[in-house]
Amino acid sequence: MILNSSLQSTLQAAANRIIPADDYPNAWEGGVGFYLERQFATDLSRSVPAYEAGLAALEAEARIHFDAPFVTLLEAQQDELLRRVEAGEVQTEWSVPPRRFFAMLVQHVAEGYYCDPMNLGNVGLRSWQMVGFVPRCD
Amino acid sequence: MKTYDAVIVGAGAGGGIVAGVLAEAGHKVLLLERGPNLRYEDVGRDHLRSQRLSLYGHNAGPHIEGNPRVVVGADGQEHQVRPHQGGYNNNAACVGGGTRVYGAQAWRFMPQDFRMASLYGVPEGSSLADWPLSYDDLEPFYEQAEWELGCSGDAGAMVFHGPRRRGYPMPPLPETRKTVPLKRGAQALGWKTHPIPVLINSQPYDGRGACVGCNNCVGYACPTEAKNGTQNTLIPRALSTGNCELISEAMTERIETDARGNVTGVTYLIEENGALRREMVRSKVVVVSAGAIESARLLLNSSSNKHPHGLGNEHDQVGRNLQGHYYSGARAIIEEEIYDGIGPGITISTTQFNHGNAGVIGGAMLADDFLKPPIDFWHTSLPPDVPRWGSEGKRWMRDYYHRTLYVAGPVQEIPNPDGRVQVAPHVRDKFGIPVARLSGTTHAATLDVAEFMRERAEEWLRASGGTKIWSARHTLRLSGGQHQAGTCRMGDDPRTSVTDRFGRVHAHDNLFVADGSLHVTNGGFNPVLTIMALAFRSGQHIAQALS
Ligand SMILES: Cc1cc2nc3c(=O)[nH]c(=O)nc-3n(C[C@H](O)[C@H](O)[C@H](O)COP(=O)(O)OP(=O)(O)OC[C@H]3O[C@@H](n4cnc5c(N)ncnc54)[C@H](O)[C@@H]3O)c2cc1C
Ligand code: SF4
Repeated sequence: MILNSSLQSTLQAAANRIIPADDYPNAWEGGVGFYLERQFATDLSRSVPAYEAGLAALEAEARIHFDAPFVTLLEAQQDELLRRVEAGEVQTEWSVPPRRFFAMLVQHVAEGYYCDPMNLGNVGLRSWQMVGFVPRCD
Repeated sequence: MKTYDAVIVGAGAGGGIVAGVLAEAGHKVLLLERGPNLRYEDVGRDHLRSQRLSLYGHNAGPHIEGNPRVVVGADGQEHQVRPHQGGYNNNAACVGGGTRVYGAQAWRFMPQDFRMASLYGVPEGSSLADWPLSYDDLEPFYEQAEWELGCSGDAGAMVFHGPRRRGYPMPPLPETRKTVPLKRGAQALGWKTHPIPVLINSQPYDGRGACVGCNNCVGYACPTEAKNGTQNTLIPRALSTGNCELISEAMTERIETDARGNVTGVTYLIEENGALRREMVRSKVVVVSAGAIESARLLLNSSSNKHPHGLGNEHDQVGRNLQGHYYSGARAIIEEEIYDGIGPGITISTTQFNHGNAGVIGGAMLADDFLKPPIDFWHTSLPPDVPRWGSEGKRWMRDYYHRTLYVAGPVQEIPNPDGRVQVAPHVRDKFGIPVARLSGTTHAATLDVAEFMRERAEEWLRASGGTKIWSARHTLRLSGGQHQAGTCRMGDDPRTSVTDRFGRVHAHDNLFVADGSLHVTNGGFNPVLTIMALAFRSGQHIAQALS
């Protein structure tokens, strides 16, 4: 990935709260990582600095609130932090607007999860099976 | 220099038809198209880059690099936007134009749609006007479009429409599961409904296949050639006469005029190995069919000493009255099974509210929607009070992707002369040509119509068993987009219109417009069949003039 490994772990953990596992895969198992990897190198290359800044700031929030890295938090704690970011209620200095960062993250995760497989996400067409979209005559 | 009887700029809905009519009448035609000639595989099935959801680009052009426009926002500031970004108002750029990937709804306008000013009066500040021709004048050409391209529908059930001499050549597409509750709901309300007329083959037609109900119809190309655009009908017919030369990826730069101001031909540009090659051709007639925004841009960019403000623009009319459609409607959750995944997905409509609505001007047709890929649904179809993330957001997709109904319709807009296309001399595209600049809004009376139709949509969904129903109010904005029209309106008075009733630009003998630009008003219907009917009519007229 284009992000460093620590930021990537944060991204993965956050994505898996945006689309959590149930009977169907979570975001990362659903291919969101593969999708984002290619997008960061192409269409979203200009958004990489915003991702780096936002994910680093999310980590800083985790330290302030729970004194631990985001990835090690309980799911409920991760959700609480993400809700704060979504509402713009942050404690640390953010160089990207937190609400805009969160909306962007949610959108890109959904794209990777629900897109057509040529975009490298939606592994095994699991999200389409979940919603009942069956491609016909392609 | 190469010489033709006619050069046609733009191989879309209007241009493709004029090319076919002229070539079959024996005239030598050059058809120039800025976009490529796309095969089915080129259009593909990308759910993030389609003409319906264009998050990172399009599948039918234009390319997102090198083709900017300037948009003046509500803040009065100019913004430079790329084709897939909000405000650009894209349609398409390829052989077939919008018809390469359209939804193919094939609506005739109603007789009243040609007489809006007489029927309703002209609201202050609007440029609402009657057409210089009537429904009856256009009726034979609607029929021609329906039969020559191939149209399915149930004419007998369309009781609010004007008289017609002939029905559709094919029966309507079959109903699907979601037709059932909507039909029931309309019956309970006492509303009349009917299938949606489509330029889609419900059975094999003219050597092309029947619809197989795939689920990527609108915004994509058809796997069986059942969807009839100009790219698989009139353009191949034109080419097979041997009289028509099609050059794709050829950008028309300007319309050329001589010292006396007469139109003599065009100049176009082709990109070759990273360099631009400029070609000039002569022709007896030039037909501008570049779509409502680009046609205005080309006329304005073709200024000369004789025409310092652009061609046809003596009275500052070119580019004004830009219209499209506000889509007004509502969504609902239905508890019964309504999904069967059979495309195209548009199955039922009512034209009960196109006219005769107390207190508002005109109205709109209402219909159900095309099937949506899941990511498109995620973007457009979740209720505002449902979280877009977490287990709840995921559960909503899982439970309601196949239980959400959408009914909406294209609101007849009230034109505003200040909603307009100009050129931005300081911003140029990859060919070095000044780009289109869009500013203004439609007339505010449009909002009342949109609001009225939103209420009707909610009413229909409630009567159809909708449990949760939601919709959003419209705010005033500029409109254009895929239904763009109005920028070179027809009329008898050169001070308030750009062309005569055949699309001939006032004060020119041999310069014509043939595309959505001609529409005086844009109906409460998708516009393409009217564009096609006008093109058949103008084409016949130009062919006679050339003979
Ligand atoms: C996804 C989608 C769905 C739609 N669904 C429907 C529907 O169901 N029913 C309906 O009625 N309408 C529908 N439409 C709209 C319909 O396609 C348009 O109304 C119609 O194509 C407009 O016709 P036109 O001739 O005005 O322009 P276009 O079809 O846009 O053709 C103009 C052509 O000119 C070319 N051009 C522009 N500038 C230049 C230049 N300088 N040199 C050379 N070439 C140039 C363009 O690339 C384009 O191909 C849909 C459109 C889209 C994209
Ligand atoms: S739904 Fe029918 S007409 Fe539309 S693309 Fe699929 S097969 Fe073609």
